[in-house]
Amino acid sequence: MRGIVKRFGGVTALDDVDLDAWSGEVLAIVGDNGAGKSTLIKILTGVYQPSAGSMSLGDQPLQMNSHSDAIDLGIDAVYQTLALADHLDPAANMFLGSELTRRVLGVPFLDNRRMRAEAERVLLERLGVTLRSMDVATESLSGGQRQAVAIARAVYHDDLRVLVMDEPTAALGPQETARTLKLIEALKEQGLAIILISHSLDDVFAVSDRIHVMRRGRCAGTVKTADSTVAEVLGLIVGAEAAA
Amino acid sequence: MSSESPTVKERLDPYLAIIGPMIMILAILLFMGVMEPARYFRVSNFSIIFIEAALYLPMAMAMTFVITQRGIDLSIGSIAALSAILMAYLLKIYGIPVWAAVGFAVLTGALLGFVNGMVITRFKVPDLIGTLAMDLVYRGFALVLAKGLVLARFPDELKMIGRGEIPGFLPVPVIIGISTMFVGYVLLTRTWFGRYSIAIGSNPESAEMSGIAVDRYRVYAYVLMGAMAGLAGVMLTGKLNAIQATSAPYFNLHVIAAVVVGGTSLFGGRASMLGSFAGVLLLSMMINALVTLRIEFFWQSVASGVVIILSVAFYTWVQKKDRDGSGGLVAGLRTPDNIKLFKLAAWLVALIGVLLAFGFLFAGGRVASG
Repeated sequence: MRGIVKRFGGVTALDDVDLDAWSGEVLAIVGDNGAGKSTLIKILTGVYQPSAGSMSLGDQPLQMNSHSDAIDLGIDAVYQTLALADHLDPAANMFLGSELTRRVLGVPFLDNRRMRAEAERVLLERLGVTLRSMDVATESLSGGQRQAVAIARAVYHDDLRVLVMDEPTAALGPQETARTLKLIEALKEQGLAIILISHSLDDVFAVSDRIHVMRRGRCAGTVKTADSTVAEVLGLIVGAEAAA
Repeated sequence: MSSESPTVKERLDPYLAIIGPMIMILAILLFMGVMEPARYFRVSNFSIIFIEAALYLPMAMAMTFVITQRGIDLSIGSIAALSAILMAYLLKIYGIPVWAAVGFAVLTGALLGFVNGMVITRFKVPDLIGTLAMDLVYRGFALVLAKGLVLARFPDELKMIGRGEIPGFLPVPVIIGISTMFVGYVLLTRTWFGRYSIAIGSNPESAEMSGIAVDRYRVYAYVLMGAMAGLAGVMLTGKLNAIQATSAPYFNLHVIAAVVVGGTSLFGGRASMLGSFAGVLLLSMMINALVTLRIEFFWQSVASGVVIILSVAFYTWVQKKDRDGSGGLVAGLRTPDNIKLFKLAAWLVALIGVLLAFGFLFAGGRVASG
């Protein structure tokens, strides 16, 4: 992403932001509330269109008009709310919006059995997760398992290249957080570019390779996690560096 | 992660919707078995029950989708009446064939449902107000068209749809009702429409973010609802061999009641086609039981209301996650909040009593009314 600008009416939410994500790498985006993190990822995932600036994936310039365009191009997001339908079972949730079908007399019907088998396979093979039951409503699963279902939905597409995760650990306890971070590691090894938005600097330092700090709609700096400290990143977030 | 087997409650969960109405149906059967076995348990009586229920089945099927999406449609009675009256005019004045007239009625219903959907999704009028207003509009059109006329005496084919019977098999309306239910079941469990209806009702924002065209699927549900209301109008006309502008006044409430009794949640996301079927059957059996017991017609309304409250309360109770229940019902009723409410109720009853006492003290002679 190069020189991204987004204005809402008179408000400039993003001002000339550059962002690079490489495959097999976890890029964390941190920043205070209202710093422009959400707007940035909404542009990246095609929900918003930038007012100015350009994006490219590989060598191809990106032109996305909707979130489904982004999914087709291999960019998907796991939202903080997970975007799960709580009353549907895990398999139905995994395929929500892109159901597998089977034609009977030329009429497409949902292929529930195959979706269930596929869901089980993806959860186990890519995430190493076995759910207690594939038949219960998703609302009865634990926070971490719901997270796994939401991630599995994104990684089911074999051509997925960029996965954006918005506050994946915000609502989780310590154990579940550790599991989720393990999932992120596993996905990274599978060669995905992962963009992680988080408020928790502990988590960010645990899994990320680089940290991109947003402040008041601008990029306050990008640091390598290995060469940085929590204090330095915190300084960038609150803008202490500039004042000092 | 742990992989113990699902608990009993989780196993029962999918069947929960059917349990409530089934228990009540059994209760009615038992009660009638004691009170009036001879007149209730007759083939002819069950045929009456089923024909009565059949009228509501198509609408209950469609209403299941509407309610599952967190919607509501109060205009179905008027849609049924208006489509049926238009059909009646086509039949009587222009003499078009019955199959064309029936198709016309169903499609008219679908069009009216489409208008409902547009009002709700495009004009952003909340469904409760939107369909309430459209109910007035459609009823008004029906009255404008038919004035006070009762249109009656229709061709035999139409009567066949409303009350005919395939000899040695089932009555025609029952076949229509059950097949629409079956189609509804397939729609709900095997198609995008059903899957997305649940997703939309479960969490509209999630559905939107999953790339579901939420508004479009909501319009689909209202179109289906309208079409089924049109079909019900045809069936009603055939059954009574007559139609007038004020026909089918309480279709909306009866159908919503049946669907809710069947375990489909008004808060969306929880759908049960089988439950809706059982709900329609339950209401018909109950009304029939009241008739068989020679209880005054007006009590039906009381009974329907009580059944609805009981079943919704039952589902809420069963689905409640955290039920520590220390002390049980009595302790629950004795919370400070409830004591205040009981005091309010006691005050209201006392004031009514005082008012009546004064009223009788100063009462004059009887006055003939009217």
